[in-house]
Amino acid sequence: MKPVYIVGAKRSPHAKAGTDLKDVAAPYLGSYLIRHLLDAAGISNTDVDEVIIGNVGNPAKYPNIGRVIALEAGLDKQTSGYTVHRNCASGLEAVSQGFLKVASGRSEIIAVGGVENMSQIPLIYSEEMTELFIDVMKAKSVGDKLKAITQFRPPYLSPIIALEQGLTDPFCGLNMGQTAEILAREFNISREEQDAFAVRSHNLALKAQEEGRLAEEILPLAVGSKLNKLLSTDVGPRAGSSVEKLAKLKPYFDRKSGTVTVGNACPITDGGSALLLVSEEALKKYDLEPMAKIVDYHFHGLEPERMGMGPLLAMDGVFKRTGMTLEDMDLVEINEAFAAQVIAVQKTLVDKEAASRFGVEKAWGEIPDEKFNVNGGAIALGHPVGSTGSRLVVTMAHELKRRKAKYGVASLCIGGGQGGAIIIENLVK
Amino acid sequence: MSVYKKISYEVKEKIAYIGFGYNNDKSMTVLDEDTLKELDAIADQLKSERKNLEAAIFFTHKERCFLAGADISLISAMKTEADGAQGAEAGQGIFNKIEDLPFQTIACVHGVCLGGGTEFSLSCKTILMSDDKSTIMGLPEVKLGLIPGFGGTYRMPKKIGLPNALDLILSGKTVNARKGKKMGLATEVYPKERIVEMAKKHIGRSQKKANLKESLTDFAQDNFLSRKVIFQKARESVLKKTKGFYQAPLKILDTMEAGMMKSRSSYLASEAQAFGELCVSEQSKNLQHIYWMTEKVKKFPGPKGEGEIPSLKRGACLGAGTMGGGIAWLMASNGMAPLMKDLNTEALELGLKQASSNFQGALKRKKLSRDDFERKMRSIHCQTDFTGFKKVDLLIEAIVENMDIKKSVFSETEKYMRDDALITSNTSSLSVEEMAKALEKSERFAGLHFFNPVHRMPLVEIITHSKVAPETVEALYNWVLKTKKTPVVVKDGPGFLVNRILMPFLNEAGYLLEEGVSMKDLDEACINFGMPMGPCRLLDEVGIDVGVKVAKILHDGLGDRAKSSGLSAKMVEKGLLGRKTNKGFYNYDESGKPTGANEEAQALLPSSQKTMSESEIQMRVILPMINEAAIILDEKIVETPADVDLGLIFGIGFPPFRGGLLRYADSEGLERILSAIEKFSSSVDKDRYEPAEFLKGLVADKKKFYDL
Repeated sequence: MKPVYIVGAKRSPHAKAGTDLKDVAAPYLGSYLIRHLLDAAGISNTDVDEVIIGNVGNPAKYPNIGRVIALEAGLDKQTSGYTVHRNCASGLEAVSQGFLKVASGRSEIIAVGGVENMSQIPLIYSEEMTELFIDVMKAKSVGDKLKAITQFRPPYLSPIIALEQGLTDPFCGLNMGQTAEILAREFNISREEQDAFAVRSHNLALKAQEEGRLAEEILPLAVGSKLNKLLSTDVGPRAGSSVEKLAKLKPYFDRKSGTVTVGNACPITDGGSALLLVSEEALKKYDLEPMAKIVDYHFHGLEPERMGMGPLLAMDGVFKRTGMTLEDMDLVEINEAFAAQVIAVQKTLVDKEAASRFGVEKAWGEIPDEKFNVNGGAIALGHPVGSTGSRLVVTMAHELKRRKAKYGVASLCIGGGQGGAIIIENLVK
Repeated sequence: MSVYKKISYEVKEKIAYIGFGYNNDKSMTVLDEDTLKELDAIADQLKSERKNLEAAIFFTHKERCFLAGADISLISAMKTEADGAQGAEAGQGIFNKIEDLPFQTIACVHGVCLGGGTEFSLSCKTILMSDDKSTIMGLPEVKLGLIPGFGGTYRMPKKIGLPNALDLILSGKTVNARKGKKMGLATEVYPKERIVEMAKKHIGRSQKKANLKESLTDFAQDNFLSRKVIFQKARESVLKKTKGFYQAPLKILDTMEAGMMKSRSSYLASEAQAFGELCVSEQSKNLQHIYWMTEKVKKFPGPKGEGEIPSLKRGACLGAGTMGGGIAWLMASNGMAPLMKDLNTEALELGLKQASSNFQGALKRKKLSRDDFERKMRSIHCQTDFTGFKKVDLLIEAIVENMDIKKSVFSETEKYMRDDALITSNTSSLSVEEMAKALEKSERFAGLHFFNPVHRMPLVEIITHSKVAPETVEALYNWVLKTKKTPVVVKDGPGFLVNRILMPFLNEAGYLLEEGVSMKDLDEACINFGMPMGPCRLLDEVGIDVGVKVAKILHDGLGDRAKSSGLSAKMVEKGLLGRKTNKGFYNYDESGKPTGANEEAQALLPSSQKTMSESEIQMRVILPMINEAAIILDEKIVETPADVDLGLIFGIGFPPFRGGLLRYADSEGLERILSAIEKFSSSVDKDRYEPAEFLKGLVADKKKFYDL
C-alpha cells in the first residue's frame, strides 16, 4: 500500500439544529470547504479524481450529495462524486474509501468529508395520506377526485418524524438513547457520572474556543437569509454548565428510572467537514507540505442494542491491524454520542473481563485524561451524523499539529451496531 | 437550392421553407437592403405559388439569431422625414404581403429576434419560439428614439392585447420564450433542434378558441373607454419615467391612440410618417450615435501586444467595503468565485452585505433563482489572509485611498500571486503611475476604476501607466465587456477621465451657492438639463468629505482652474458628510431617502439670494466641463471624443438624449461655446473659465470635436 497524506482539513462551525445553520442546505456545508482546501493547496479544479461525501439524512433534492458538492465546489464537471452512508460514521467511511483508493495507487487526489443538515430532515406523510394523494392525482374526473378526497381522515395528517425514525434501530426496535440506557444499567453508570462527563465536555470546548484553538479547523460560513453574516464559531458549548444544573433535566428515553438526558447526550446538530487526501506523487507535483498521514482504519460490528460499545471493537481492530497500542497514541478521540456509552467504553478498556463480553481479549488500558477528547466532544460541539466521522479526523489532525505530537486514534459508535476507528500520524514538526 | 443569396428558399411536400441568415458569416442577421429585396421577392413568389403550397415556414440558419432587426446604418443614413417614411412604407409593404398570404405562415423564432425581426414575425399567422437562452423578442426602437416602423405598433396590440403591447413598445424591453408564450406572442415553445419539425403540426390547425378569461380580458380592453384609460395611464408612466425628455414614447402613444379605429393602410401610413419624423430628429440621431459608440466599444481599440492575453477566470478583491463588496458581487455574478480579503470579520460582513444587497433586485424580479443566488453568493470566499491567491487571475484592490498603504499592500500581495496574474487598483483619485512602482512586475498592473454603486454604474475606467503591457489592458478590456460593463481606456492623470470632467460641475456648484443661487434652483436647473441629479444631491451621494479629498488632488494636479470653493470644507468641519451621515446639503431618513434641505447647510450659505436664469446656471456648470474635456483630448488622456461621451453617459448619467457632452457641444456650435466661456472668463473667474487652447484651435479651424 502506498502512503496517503492529508494536506488540508477543515470543518464548518457546528450549530444546534434549528439555529444558525438551519437554512444552509447540506451541500453548502461541504462545498465551500473543498473549494477552500483546493485553493489553499493550489490544486487545479481539473486534478481531483473523486469527491466522496458521507451523509445520513439524504435530502430529497440532492439524491447524490457527493456529486452536488463536487460541482458546487467549482470542480471540473468531469470529476466523479458520490455519497456514502454508514450512519454515524459516514464521514469516516468517506475518509477510509478515499484512503483505500489513494493507497492502492488508483487515485492521486481525493476530497473526502461529510455533511449533515439535521434541521432539514423532513417530516413524512403517513402511508394512508400518501395513498390518498396518489388516488387524487390518478383520478381523471372531478367526481373521482372528490371521491378520493372524501377518504381523508384527520389522523392521516399526523406526520412521521424522519429524524426520530432514523435514530431508531429497525432491527432491535430501540432508540439510540435506549441503547445508551442499556449500557448505563449494565455497567452501573450513574446519572452523576454521566452529567460530570457532559460538564467536562462543555468546559473543554469552551476553553478551546476562548483560546482560539478551534479557529484553525473552522472555516467561517455565510449564514442568514441574505447570506450576509459570517458564522465562525460553534453554537453549542454552554458556559456555566454544572452537574447541579444538569441534574434538573428529566431522563429523556426512560422517563421513570432512566439516567440519559438531553444534557448528557449529544445535541442534534448541523455541520460539515472535509479533508484532502493525496498520494506521494501529488505531494511532489504540487510541492505540498503534508499535514498528516493516514496509518489505517477499521470497522467492526456488534449487537445493535449495544451499539455504543462500537469504539471498543473498532479500536481493538485497528490496533491489531497496525500492531500499535493505546499507549502509542498521543491523542484519543471517542465520539460522545452519549456520556454513558463513552464511559462504558472507557471501563471496558481497563477491565479485561468486561472487554471479553464483547469478544475483545485484551484490556488496552486507561486513556489519560490529558489525551482524551481534549477540546471537548459531541456533547458540547454536537454530532452532525454524516459529518462527525470526518470531523473527528479534522479535529485530531489540527490538535496533533498544534501539540507537535505523533499519533492519534479517533473512533465512534455507529447506530445499527458498529464501530469505526482510524489512526493518523502527524507530520508537522 | 435557392435562387436567393441572403435567404434560402426550398419547397418540400407543399411546404415552403424559408431560412434567414443564409450565406451569412456574421453572427447576427439584419434586414439590410438586399435581404429586404429578397424577402419582397419571396413574398411575391409565395403568392404566385399559393395553389401548390399549404404553408410557409420561416426559420434561421444561424446559431443565435433569427432576425436582429433593421440595419441601423440604413436608418442612420436617412436624411429627410420623407426618406424615413418611405423606408418604413417599403418594409410595411413586404410584411403586408406576408400577412395576406392565403395559407399558414409560421415564424420559427430561434435566437435574437428584435425590431424588424419581431415585426416580421408578427406578420406571420403563427409564432413559435425556441426555448434556447438566446431567444428573445421585442421592439427596442424606442431606445433609439424611434417608433417601430414596419407595422409593429399595429400588429403587436392585436397579438398580445393593448396593455402588454404598450409595455413592450414603450420600454423597448425584450421577452424570452416563456414570457412570450405567456403573453400570447408565441403560440408554442419548442427546443431549437425540433422547432421546424414541430412547426408542421401547426399547419391546418385552427387557432385555439379563446377561453372565458381571455374573452373577458379582450372585452375589457376592447371598448373605447377602457382604451382611453389604458393610454392615459401609459402616458402618465412615460412622463414619470422620462421626465418628458424623450419624444419617441410620446409619439408612439399619439400614433397608437389616434390609430385605434383606423384601417390597416391608413394606420400604417401614420406609423410610417411618425417613423419618418422621429428618425431624422436630433434626439434619435443622438441616441443612434450612442448605439454606434457602444457597438464600437465592443472591440478592443488597441494597441495590441505580441503576447498571450491572460485569461481571467478566478477573481479576488482586497477590501470589503462598499466598492469591494460590489466588486465581489460582480465577480461572483460572472462565475469567478472571488476571494474577498479584509482585516476582520466585521469588515468582511460589510462586503457580504453589499454583495447580497446587489443580488436582491434580481432575486425579487425573479431574474435570479434562489438557488443561483445561494450558489453565487456562497462562491464569495471571505478571508483575512492570502490563502488561495496563487489561483487568482485578476485581483482588484479596493482598500483605503492612501498611497503609502496601497503601495505596501501591493508589494506584499504580489508575493502571494502568480507572475501572470493581473493586479489592479480601484482607486478613484490616486496616481496609478506612482502605485505601479510598488510592484516587481508592474506590466501586469493597471487601474480599474468602478463607479459607485458597482451594480448600477456601467462604466469602468481602465487606467494605464508607462510600464503597462498591452496584453494587460486588452485582457482587462475584454473582461469588463464580459461583465456587461463599458470599458474606457484612460491614461493616468488627476481624476482620470470622468471625475476630472465632473470636477468643474461640482466646483461651480459650490461657487454658485456662495454667490447666492439657491440649492433648489441649482439642482433643478441641472435636472432640467437632463442630469440624473443635481450637484448638491450628487455630492451628498459621493460623500462631501470624499469630494473635498478628490478636489484637493485635482487642484494640486491641474492648478487653479480646478480650485474649489470653500463650502464643502466648511460642511465637512460641521460633520455634514452627505447621505452616509444622513446629513449633507439635504437631510436623509433611515432608508437614505432625502427628506428636504438641511438647515445646517443652508446656514453656511449667504442669506441674500440671487436669482439666475436656468440656462445661465446650466451654462455655468456645463461649459467648464466641455472646456476640461477639450484639455483632456489635447493631453490624450483618452483617444476620441466618443470616449469622453461614453464615459460621461455611463459614468455619471450625462443625458443620453443629448448624445454626450461633446456631441452636445458640437450641436450647439463650438464657436458659441467658446465665446460663452470667454464671457464667463471675464465676468466670473479668469482661471476657472480660461478657454482651452485646443478648443480655440478647433474653432479657428472651423472643426467640431467629432471631426477629429
